[in-house]
Amino acid sequence: MMWLSWRQFRVQALFGAGALAVIAVYLLYLGGDIRDAHDVYQANCDNSANCAQARSQFRSTFQNTLLFLATGLALIPALIGTFWGAPLIARELENGTHRLVWNQSVTRPRWLLSKILLIGAASVIVTGAAAALLTWAARPFDDVVKEQFDTFVFGARNIAPIGYAALAFTFGTVVGLLLRRTLPAMAVTLVVFIAFQFFFPNVVRPSLMPPDRTTLPMTAEAINSAQNLGSIGGGSVIGGVRIPDAPDAWIAETSPLRTADGRTLASSEFNGCLDDPPKTGAGGTFGDTAVCLAEHDLHVDVLYHPSSRYWAFQWLETAIYVALSGILTAFGVWRIRRRVS
Amino acid sequence: MPHADSPPVLHAEGLTKKYGRRGKLALSDVHLSVPAGRVIGLVGPNGAGKSTLLHLACGLTEPTSGSLTVLGSRPAANASHLARVGFVAQNTPVYGAFTVAEHLRFGAKMNPGWDPVLAERRISQVGLSAGQKAGQLSGGQRAQLALTIAAAKRPELLIFDEPAAALDPLARRGFLQNLMEFVLELGASAVLSSHLLGDVEQVCDYLIVLCDARVQVAGDTRELLAGHARLVAARGEFDQPRAGIEVISVEHSGKHSSAVVRTGAATEALPYRSEPVTLEELVLAYMTRAAAVPAARTEAAAWGATR
Repeated sequence: MMWLSWRQFRVQALFGAGALAVIAVYLLYLGGDIRDAHDVYQANCDNSANCAQARSQFRSTFQNTLLFLATGLALIPALIGTFWGAPLIARELENGTHRLVWNQSVTRPRWLLSKILLIGAASVIVTGAAAALLTWAARPFDDVVKEQFDTFVFGARNIAPIGYAALAFTFGTVVGLLLRRTLPAMAVTLVVFIAFQFFFPNVVRPSLMPPDRTTLPMTAEAINSAQNLGSIGGGSVIGGVRIPDAPDAWIAETSPLRTADGRTLASSEFNGCLDDPPKTGAGGTFGDTAVCLAEHDLHVDVLYHPSSRYWAFQWLETAIYVALSGILTAFGVWRIRRRVS
Repeated sequence: MPHADSPPVLHAEGLTKKYGRRGKLALSDVHLSVPAGRVIGLVGPNGAGKSTLLHLACGLTEPTSGSLTVLGSRPAANASHLARVGFVAQNTPVYGAFTVAEHLRFGAKMNPGWDPVLAERRISQVGLSAGQKAGQLSGGQRAQLALTIAAAKRPELLIFDEPAAALDPLARRGFLQNLMEFVLELGASAVLSSHLLGDVEQVCDYLIVLCDARVQVAGDTRELLAGHARLVAARGEFDQPRAGIEVISVEHSGKHSSAVVRTGAATEALPYRSEPVTLEELVLAYMTRAAAVPAARTEAAAWGATR
């Protein structure tokens, strides 16, 4: 049975191995590059004023490349589901060859499990290897920038991509079994899996563990270290705040700016500070606006996960994806045993 | 080889198959019991339910209701039961990217009872070369390859779904000849379906006529021929039911009516001129009756009920 699985998979396997080789060469090269730049950054980091500048330069040199690579890595499981998973059974059903292979002395569940094991293992190996290489290449950058909880970065490092690959492959396989036609199965797999990859990190991941909560006083200094003020929809909101005691923590939710009595800062006052703050000549990201807002004695309530939970999140997410993949496999086996043709 | 105590190759009770919740009935309340050691022809027009019956027999689909056993157990119940039944599907599917040799390797890997000597002898007898890609074979060659794969696992029952439908007359003759050689060599039972009686007539010793989702008649071909006759009488003579005979179909020509009838007793006792029927006349008579819906269906049902 393994002979057949391999014989039917070998062209795709060759393609996968070739793609992985190209990715590996590039990431090894990039990893060297990042390490060189990191050495330069450390050499320039002799005092704190220079350090901030060197740091932002180091960051901007690789930020876009690494974001692009994280997106690319996120696509690998989707492509595996589409090109390895979806045609796996659909093509047999389409060509009628299931009537040949299912009448040999191998039961359909065994036939299916053998295929899922072989090609599922290949999916996990290809994705896992690419993720490991990217994790290695980006490590000096990640150590400096500390954005390991960023939606894209989290899913493109360490073990989480292994879970994505397992789920994408089995999902594609089951879709092919249900739709019975290759092209529609490929399209559905690609679209639904990518949609799920947006849904999970934004909706499910933050609530995988109960977050800690804390209150951050919004001093001028704290406001200046945030990333943005206000939003398109209006409202007294601040984005990208950091917790002074735990700068690496993942802020899952930030409340609007609140006054001392716990009410949201009126938007007229917020906009007043934003549009026409009293001139004080203060520096920083938001200058006079930060000083103006700080005078209102504001705070925000945040829900956050300390960075010590990083590996717990990685393991939990991987385990959930692998479990979903197992459920889909069990469903596929049940379905192929009962209703086909 | 047939044994008196071996279970029937096919045994159906109330077998019904419906596609979809409101779909049409592909098989309706089929009762059948086919003894082992026979070559069975399954004949009926397109859409009669032949493929459905054969797919049920090799476990590719499950019945909606009723039961079917093949060689004494549920179809495709486990690996060892799969090994006892060989199936060649309609249009004889093979893997287009595999060579002929790879197909034999496939058969050997997938079947513990694989007979490599038989397989290779047959492949060379029908003139297939090992290195050829199956996707480039002609329809006849592909059918021979599919037949070899099904037979070299040495099954006790070989099932063929319209094996010769897509073949030209020459390839068809070669295929049927090869098929019969396999059946003899393996000592297997075989079921062949066709919408043409001519395909199965030469090789079958047992006939099932399936029309309109129902079995119209089934039995040993010699017994069927002995139990049916063509009677000729004055026009209108067969309009009334008559004890001892069941009229299957009637043709009128001039002053005479000619009927194919099923007879319980000897036809000499009847006051009509009696002639033997050919298998083709017999099958056509049943198909004609089934096709004359809806009157014939109710008649058939009534006959089934009083039997």
